[in-house]
Amino acid sequence: MSETKQTGDSPKKDHGVLYIGMDLGTSRTSVSASNGVRETIYSLVGYPKDVVSKKLLKKDVLFGKEALEKRLSLKLYKPLEKGVLKYTGDGNQDAEAKANLKAAQELIGEAIRVAKPRKDELVYCVIGAPAEASVKNREAIIEAARAHVDSVMLCSEPFAVAYGLDWLEDVLVIDIGAGTTDLCRMHGTMPEEADQVMFDVAGDAVDAELARRIEQTCPTAQFTIQMVKEIKERYGYVGDPQERCIVELPVQGKPTPFDLTEQIGQACSILIDPILRGIQKLVASFDPEFQQKLKSRVLLAGGGSMVKGLDSSIEKAMKDRLGGGKVVRIEEPVYGGANGALKVAHDMPAEFWEQLK
Amino acid sequence: MGGLRDTLKEAVRQMAFRTSLSSLKKKGVQKVNVLGIDRIVALIEAAVHRSLKSRFVGDEREAVAAATKAEFLRLLRSNEDLQRQKSEWERQKEQAEDEIDQLRRDLAQQNQSLQLQLEQDALENASRYAGENAMIARKVADVMQALASSKGVSTKIAEERVMELVMDVISGERHDAEQARRALRDREVDNLQRRIKKLTDTLQQTEQRLQQVAATKNIEAGISSLYRDVQGVSSDDALAIKKTELMAEIFRANLELQKKSTNGA
Repeated sequence: MSETKQTGDSPKKDHGVLYIGMDLGTSRTSVSASNGVRETIYSLVGYPKDVVSKKLLKKDVLFGKEALEKRLSLKLYKPLEKGVLKYTGDGNQDAEAKANLKAAQELIGEAIRVAKPRKDELVYCVIGAPAEASVKNREAIIEAARAHVDSVMLCSEPFAVAYGLDWLEDVLVIDIGAGTTDLCRMHGTMPEEADQVMFDVAGDAVDAELARRIEQTCPTAQFTIQMVKEIKERYGYVGDPQERCIVELPVQGKPTPFDLTEQIGQACSILIDPILRGIQKLVASFDPEFQQKLKSRVLLAGGGSMVKGLDSSIEKAMKDRLGGGKVVRIEEPVYGGANGALKVAHDMPAEFWEQLK
Repeated sequence: MGGLRDTLKEAVRQMAFRTSLSSLKKKGVQKVNVLGIDRIVALIEAAVHRSLKSRFVGDEREAVAAATKAEFLRLLRSNEDLQRQKSEWERQKEQAEDEIDQLRRDLAQQNQSLQLQLEQDALENASRYAGENAMIARKVADVMQALASSKGVSTKIAEERVMELVMDVISGERHDAEQARRALRDREVDNLQRRIKKLTDTLQQTEQRLQQVAATKNIEAGISSLYRDVQGVSSDDALAIKKTELMAEIFRANLELQKKSTNGA
């Protein structure tokens, strides 16, 4: 039984309707709500390793940044991989897959909690889910959310981004996440399989490439993949560098400055070629009369789009390969999906919400 | 009117949430537009009045204004109720923490007294046995001296016999006494163990209650939504028809998913 459903103990839900838009991502989960709350948390769930750590942490489960900071005392789960849950729902899955499912469910619950819903308001939630998610995967997401809200729907993530900006026709959305990069063309209807391209060269691949390059060029430097991720988020760029990227990394325990400008630029550049191939595929298979319009309405979204100079580099490459194009980076890349999902929730008629309760 | 303005200002403050410049930067926000609270309050007032002015006339406008004010104050009251509820949970949590502290102290005290009593018993036994042994030795010596003065009996044989006799009697006595003492001590130990178990159970229950209170406390009052009712696509929206179709498509896909899920379950 849902804890928000009306029972004898719970308050009557007659004070209003709270809409929540959620972008469930491999690296981050963002929520935007109609009470003005906008939050993002790392998609990490941690459980105390033993009784001692449980006593020390005083919690049964930790999320996001807190889980990352206390990771040495935790069994840490990253329940999403390449944009989808590490759970396929087939009977042969091991205990680890089931633990990942539980972690995903708790993560969704936490994401809804951070939106600060009131007990006396109806809560309606739209979750942006990747197009590649299996039916079992989608069911698991819906089940997890239903425990915390009154009604929930899923919608395609790139669609949510475009809908949030009212760009519904002849738009090409590029959503660069941590696990995957999704390209989706919109032509006034819900996108179908032929309208979407997905590949796994995304934020995590850039981190791995940067780590490899640092290892090669600075063999004495000590670092973790999390440190590399933070370096990329701080300095990530493509094209011409605007500043030198001087980063301190420990060498035999002593913080030592390293100039990683070249390595960062080269690692981030791996995003461009697959994106261009995806754009070319979606443009070439589109109605020739509207191809020009589609090329001039390319939306760049997702955490990975914050790499400096990425929009202009894609534009430049489009000019070389496709004869031109216009790329617009959305104003708030981290919240683009959540804001769009919130708008979908807002525009959904009451009878639809009622039927899905 | 000034009162309402202050209340409105307070409500805007309560609904706002704090963030830092660095966390905004992390979220990809480079620039922010700043709007003062007085300006926000003035805008709300102006918007409400303009809307009322354009939609209603005369008494009707007054009635709607009064109803709106009443609704606003009702929402504030409900928020205050939730705040009170939160304070009550916090009070209960403090009380439970005090109880746990007291129980922990009691438990430690009981353990200490049990330990003390066991040590004392061992000490008493040792000194008591030493005294009894000395007394027996004295008595045997007396008997031996008496036998030595009489003729015809070997002293050694006499000593052995007396010793056998005495030890037989004494060991029987000791056995009985030991059993009695053990029974008494077992009763005391049993009592103390029962009290300790009870205290441990109570401690566990109180800790559990504290956890529940702590968990409940985490459920904050929440922040009110901007909307009182379900909205739907606005009829003023230039893309209303297209958006309505898209909403229907999303709904159909979700309904199908739900049906599959129900059939599969």
